[in-house]
Amino acid sequence: MPDTKSSSNDTRYLAERWTSRILRVGVWISASFMILGLFLTTIFPSSVVPFPTNPSLGILAERIFSASFDPITLMFSGLVMLMFTPILRVITAVFGFAMERDWRFVFVSSLVFLMLACEIMYSLFLKG
Amino acid sequence: MYLLAGGFIAGTFGALLGLGGGVLLIPFLVIVLGIPMHQAIATSIIAVIATSSAGAAMNLERHTVHMRLGMLLEIATVLGAILGGMTANYLSAGVLTRLFSGLLLFVSLVMLWRIQKNNGQEKLQTDGILPYTLTDQASGTELRYTVKKVPATMLVSLLAGNVSGLLGVGGGIFKVPAMNILSSVPMKAATATSNFMIGVTGAASAFIYFAHGHLNPFVASTAALGVLAGSMTGVRISRKIHTKVLTWIFAVALMGISIQLYLR
Repeated sequence: MPDTKSSSNDTRYLAERWTSRILRVGVWISASFMILGLFLTTIFPSSVVPFPTNPSLGILAERIFSASFDPITLMFSGLVMLMFTPILRVITAVFGFAMERDWRFVFVSSLVFLMLACEIMYSLFLKG
Repeated sequence: MYLLAGGFIAGTFGALLGLGGGVLLIPFLVIVLGIPMHQAIATSIIAVIATSSAGAAMNLERHTVHMRLGMLLEIATVLGAILGGMTANYLSAGVLTRLFSGLLLFVSLVMLWRIQKNNGQEKLQTDGILPYTLTDQASGTELRYTVKKVPATMLVSLLAGNVSGLLGVGGGIFKVPAMNILSSVPMKAATATSNFMIGVTGAASAFIYFAHGHLNPFVASTAALGVLAGSMTGVRISRKIHTKVLTWIFAVALMGISIQLYLR
C-alpha cells in the first residue's frame, strides 16, 4: 500500500522544491560568471574591452555566442543571469502550482510573471 | 578589494541584524567610496537579489517560507518596484540621498521595535486564510497558522516594493512587521517569506536601472559577491552570538549615518 501521507506531502511541496533548486542553480551559475570576469580583470587587465554604456541583451548574447569571453561580458552575463533568476523561479512556481492542481495560484504566479515580462519589454524598448 | 570587503561586512551584519545588505551597503558605497547614488542603488539591488535568492533556496527547503502568501504579495511589491524604479531615474541624486537618510532613520526605529518584539510570545491564529505549517528546526515541532488581513498587508507591500525600487533596499523592514502584526504570520515565517519575495521585487526594478546605464559591472559584481559571502557567514555566526546588544549599537549607528547622509 503506498504511503499516502508521504506522497501527498511530496505533491504539496513540489512548487517549493523546484523553486529552491532553480534559485540555487541560478545563483551559483551567475556567481561563477562574475567570479571568472573579476578574476580575468585582475590577472589580465589588458583583456578588458569596455562597453560605452550598459549593453543591450542582444549585444550581450552576440558577444557570448561569438565566444568573446572578455571580462566585462562575463560580468554582465553573470549580472543579467542573476536578474533573470527570480523571474525563472516565478515561471517554475507556475508549473509547480499547476502540478499541484492549485489553479488559483497558477493564476497569481502567472500575473506576477506577466508584470515582470511587461517591465522587461519596457526596459528593452528603453535601451533600443 | 575595499569594495569586496565592504560588501562582505555589509552582508555579514545585514544577516546578523535581520536587514538586507542594501541598508548598510548603500551608505558604504556613497560615503566611503564616493560612488554616485543611482549607481549605488543599482549595485545594492543586484546584491539584494543575490542574497535573497540564496537565502530563499535554503528557507524553502526548511519549509519556513509561506510561498503562496509570498506570491500573492508579490503582485503588489512588483507593481511598487516598477513604479519606484521608473521614478528614481527622474529624481536627482540629492533627493534620493535625503529619502534614503529618512529611510535609515525609520529602519533604526524598527530595529529597536524588534528587540522589544522578540521578548514577547507569539500567538498563532488559525481562523484566517491560506493555512500553512511552519516547521521549527530547533525543536522539530510543526506550528500551524493562517493568514489574516491580506489586503492591508498587500497595501504595505506596495509601499515596500516602491521603496525597494526607489532606494535599492529589500523592503523587508516594511513587509516583516506588516505580515507579523497585520496578518498574524509568525516572525520567523514573515522574515523568510519577505526574503523570498525580495529577489523578484529587486529583479523588477533592476532591469530599469540596467536600461538607464546605472549598472557598473565591476562594482556590482564585486559588491554582490562580497554581500553574498558575508550574508552566508552572518547566517552561520548568528546562531552562536547574542544579537541584542549588536542591534542596539547598529540602530544608534544608523541614526548617525542617516544624519550624515542628510547633511551631504
